[in-house]
Amino acid sequence: MTPAIKGVIKKGLYRDSLQLMKLSEEAKNIPGVLNAAILMATEINMEILRQQGLLTPELDKASPDDLVVAVKAEDEEKAEEAIAKIEEMLLKTPTGTGLEDMEDVVYSIDSALQYMPDANLALISIPGEYVKDVGMELLRRGVHLHIFSDHVPLEDEAELKRFAYENGLLVLGPAAGTSIINGKAIAFANAVKRGEVGIVAAAGTGLQEVSVLLDRVGLGTSQGLGIGGNDVKEKVGGLMALTCIRVLQQDENTKVIVFISKPGDRRVMTKILKTVEHEVDKPFIACIQGTARYKIPPKLRRRIKIVKGLHAAASETLRAVKPKESKQMLKNITKTPAELLKTARSIYIKLTPRQKYVRALYTGGTLMYESLLIYKQLLGGVYSNAPLDEKHRLQDPHRSYKHTAIDLGAEEFTRGRPHPMIDPTVRGFRLVNEAKDPEVAVVVMDFMLGYGAHKDPAGAMLSPIREAKAIASADGRELVILAHVCGTRNDPQNLQEQENKLRNEGVYTFPSNSLAVITSALIASRGRVNRRKLQQVYREYVGG
Amino acid sequence: MEKILKLFNSELKIINIGLEIFYRDLKQQRIKVIHVNWQPSPVTEKDLEDALRRLT
Repeated sequence: MTPAIKGVIKKGLYRDSLQLMKLSEEAKNIPGVLNAAILMATEINMEILRQQGLLTPELDKASPDDLVVAVKAEDEEKAEEAIAKIEEMLLKTPTGTGLEDMEDVVYSIDSALQYMPDANLALISIPGEYVKDVGMELLRRGVHLHIFSDHVPLEDEAELKRFAYENGLLVLGPAAGTSIINGKAIAFANAVKRGEVGIVAAAGTGLQEVSVLLDRVGLGTSQGLGIGGNDVKEKVGGLMALTCIRVLQQDENTKVIVFISKPGDRRVMTKILKTVEHEVDKPFIACIQGTARYKIPPKLRRRIKIVKGLHAAASETLRAVKPKESKQMLKNITKTPAELLKTARSIYIKLTPRQKYVRALYTGGTLMYESLLIYKQLLGGVYSNAPLDEKHRLQDPHRSYKHTAIDLGAEEFTRGRPHPMIDPTVRGFRLVNEAKDPEVAVVVMDFMLGYGAHKDPAGAMLSPIREAKAIASADGRELVILAHVCGTRNDPQNLQEQENKLRNEGVYTFPSNSLAVITSALIASRGRVNRRKLQQVYREYVGG
Repeated sequence: MEKILKLFNSELKIINIGLEIFYRDLKQQRIKVIHVNWQPSPVTEKDLEDALRRLT
């Protein structure tokens, strides 16, 4: 029996990427099927089909608006049968909602408010162009918003936020992946304990990283408010940053405030920091990633701290809350520069002389950004699909060049596909491809746990990890993989279980992104990093 | 500010509009949630243009 590959194009048919992911998994269980993929025919999806050996010449003719079904089965007959079955499955879900087992489903905002007249928050994840109308309707009825949707026009965001600002309401997002309200995870967030730290973040995975690190040293989060990266741009003027900081100042349960953002618009950031100086009397830690541009008046420096890295923000917060015990408690999440060097040395002595490059494959955009900042200092320029400067932009985001860090959550990797925190397929293929390059010294990966994320992100990556390591091994070299699992023991995926799965495959795990990144730079450079520079980076990004 | 402070001191009651995965995650956390199976208005100018093109 010869395996057969068959494909069919469903012209103009659309189904949601999450539903297609589920359908593909179900199709793989059809008797006689060896592999199956049901996808919208976007560029990245066609590349995935090609890499899986499922792209037939007929399927290659599909356009991005088409849906494609590709099947590899034990023989021709089984492949035909499977395609017929999949077509039936597609028909059974005509609207693509998969709502049959859901209670509490309505079809309009009006009905929702009739059913739940005291609703106090709306979580919006519809296409960006529709957000303003839906959001405004809810704000007018006094409902606070968390907008997950991206591609919301900046002027729409400004209008929604101005209305909210003037009416004392909250608009979290747009493009906010994470919030923690009253101890509950909204969208992508971890099961962290409740406590005294209020976090305002214009960077989704930044909020996850800091709240998780605080949890691991015994501190809880009172509220974690994701305001979206555009809030600190001039057009929006930091309206929600200001609102959230002011409300956390008034909130009795919040003892310390943490603010996380990229450098943002200079005038907006200055306005936010001036507000903090004049209106906030609680300890305030601003993590303004990678910049030393902003200064705090000397008399306020005991209360207001500015740090560059996420781990450093968690360290400073702990110092503010528990000044006496902090040194001991930080040991749970920290390794010293000497320990990192020792770990790096024990790894790089196994590498061949040609293995010199870092390849960092991220699902979290803020963590990727932080890696670029650290690599810039320790390794020089690093190429990326979202680089710090244009001369380091990758010509082809699908192919790494020298030192490379990739944000796999960027649009070019997610068109017609779920985000890599939900669907690990794209990263699995990328890892295997990196393993084929004899110049790769070390791969870095983040694993985001929590609500919203894949049920078993580490487990889903084990097969690509084994394949990648086998490719390198057959070529007489070792592929070193460093991982940071961002999660807690109370997350649905369980931190310990996830870390153990990776360690059992020879992956080195680190308690924070910055520790994994610094170690990878030390491995790639064989420890040849100026010691003073290393100390400085450590102080800025880990907090010493 | 009072409205936001009130939110922080109330039980969450959420309207989820869009991805059903979030509805399920909110339910899993025992949050009161209602899901709006939201669809954009079905007929747009582009749809009409497409329909006309198919007819001609």
